Amino acid sequence: MFAQVVAIIIFIAMFVFIVSEIVERHVVSLICALLTIVFVFGLGMHSMSAILETLNLRSIFTTEFWYLSGETSGSSTGINWETILFIFGMMVMVEGMARVGFFRWLCMRIARLVKYQVIPLFITFMILSTILAMFIDSITVILFLAAVTIELAQLLKFNPIPMILSEIFCANLGGSATMCGDPPNIIIGTSLGYSFTDFVTNTGVIAAVSLIAVLLYFYLIFRKELRADVSEPVDYSSLPTPESTITDKKGFAVSCVIFAAAIALLVTHAQTGLTVSTIGCIVAAATLITSWKYAVDLLKKVDYNTLLFFIGLFVVIGGLEQTGILEIMAAFIGRISGGNVMVMVAIIIWLSAVVSAFVDNIPFATTMIPIIKSLSTTYGVDLSMLAWTLAMGTDIGGSATPIGASANVVGIATASREGYVIKWGQYCKKMMPATVMVVLIAMLFIYFRYL
Amino acid sequence: MEKQLIISVGREYGSGGHEIAEKLSKHYGIQLFDHNLLDEIAAKKNVKMDHLKELDERHKNLLSSRTVRGLSNSPEENLLYLQFDFLRDKADAGESFVIVGRCSETILKQYDSMVSIFILGDRDKRIERIMRLYHLTESQAVKKIREKDIQRRRYHNSFCVRRWGDCRNYDISLNSSRLGIDGTVKLLTEYIDSRRK
Repeated sequence: MFAQVVAIIIFIAMFVFIVSEIVERHVVSLICALLTIVFVFGLGMHSMSAILETLNLRSIFTTEFWYLSGETSGSSTGINWETILFIFGMMVMVEGMARVGFFRWLCMRIARLVKYQVIPLFITFMILSTILAMFIDSITVILFLAAVTIELAQLLKFNPIPMILSEIFCANLGGSATMCGDPPNIIIGTSLGYSFTDFVTNTGVIAAVSLIAVLLYFYLIFRKELRADVSEPVDYSSLPTPESTITDKKGFAVSCVIFAAAIALLVTHAQTGLTVSTIGCIVAAATLITSWKYAVDLLKKVDYNTLLFFIGLFVVIGGLEQTGILEIMAAFIGRISGGNVMVMVAIIIWLSAVVSAFVDNIPFATTMIPIIKSLSTTYGVDLSMLAWTLAMGTDIGGSATPIGASANVVGIATASREGYVIKWGQYCKKMMPATVMVVLIAMLFIYFRYL
Repeated sequence: MEKQLIISVGREYGSGGHEIAEKLSKHYGIQLFDHNLLDEIAAKKNVKMDHLKELDERHKNLLSSRTVRGLSNSPEENLLYLQFDFLRDKADAGESFVIVGRCSETILKQYDSMVSIFILGDRDKRIERIMRLYHLTESQAVKKIREKDIQRRRYHNSFCVRRWGDCRNYDISLNSSRLGIDGTVKLLTEYIDSRRK
């Protein structure tokens, strides 16, 4: 009982401190992790095995961590080192791509392809945002897309805010489509043993259907605001050519090859048996070896704070799991749904969406994984269906408010620092209906396809 | 070319700090930035900012804001950075100006040409001034002063390490109730002139 109460207190305190931003979130999660080890596992449970299971260091030295010869059930206990290594690898690769000017080149190339026409730009940038976010973290996608959008808006004289808002939404939507698109998906995939293909053929299909609705929705609500001011002629020569944005031609070619290889490895990882941790290490090593002159700089740019945040978070959630709190929560959800699968799906998707709209979706998704696992075991519900429900709820719900997802914060900040300040009301008025629409589409899709 | 002069004026509400800043601006023939700063930024960036005036000199709301890799969604914070960038650009360009509030004593600290001033006042004198200027009753004036001072303190302290009104943060802290507005301006110009020699 003591351990359970302390685990809950630490978990709530962690959330409160993360939201308050008094201390950086990685510091909060690491301190809470230490408190969990000392008070929950040590003083509360007197269990060394609980500590070792949660630290999960042993898993790194197993063959399954690097290579899978058959089906896996995954592991949701303790620190998910697979997730940490994979995100690290992708971060190194993305930094390498950014160094050579890949993202700016891609944006400028597409802008030129559509002849700098505002509405075609609006549509293609939304699609580009979705596709890029399927493979790359949404923060990087929005950092580059928003910057180029503002640059184009200033030249073509249109309001960039509608375009940036649409790009943010699509980045979050794209993230939901694949296993590596959004951190909750990576955690869900590695914890429950799903492959890249599993995600694409399930959440990917939902995201594709939703994208059509989203393109239509944003076009209808923003078409008037996106009219360019044609009173003055536009000087296209002041725009950089796509080629001029490449800072290192040889490095650019190498980056493209590494990126293509990363996609190929991810798409085929169920067949090749390579785990995401192996793929993460391969892309990181390939990037660092081919850009050895810049290796130290690239390593310095990796967002270690996020990785540390994940490590601390996994330990705190491990505390809840080891003390049986998550099973109690699962039983509660099972009780209020009366064992009805449709109600269960509705609760999971809407609860995930609402919570993710206001707090970081990573801790929430991590907490929910053992819960859906328990629900699946107790009520005999298909675990994969609950996993897709959780992924869609957490990934899409984050779009609803300015603080729901990292991409939202980065997009808003990028626009605001150029004078296009976006307030809460302005953001929610356009993004909340889109979020509700997509969550509804996802829920109905799950009902029709799986039930 | 005239030597650069940047005057940063922090002030307690009702102390006459703004009027002193206006008089210093007139005395040295340099531009004054206060609420007009947003208009200046809007004109420079060719954007509309009228709807953001309510956010000027406001602290960020912790519950409705989040920071990712040093970037924040807080409109108050983003507005502040726009103002910081604008002021730094002006200072880097060698321009002289008077800036009222907006954490200017902190963000422009590295410029040797800056003189930072904090104007305070006796409580009764401040109440009297606010009652006279805004035709308020004493209790209304007291309430307004309290609210405005809290707002300025929270705004300043949420973005700067040194506390609002802490004399160590400014070159000179002066009680305007002792010498009156004109006397304070006279004393300040003597100080500024000595600094510029």
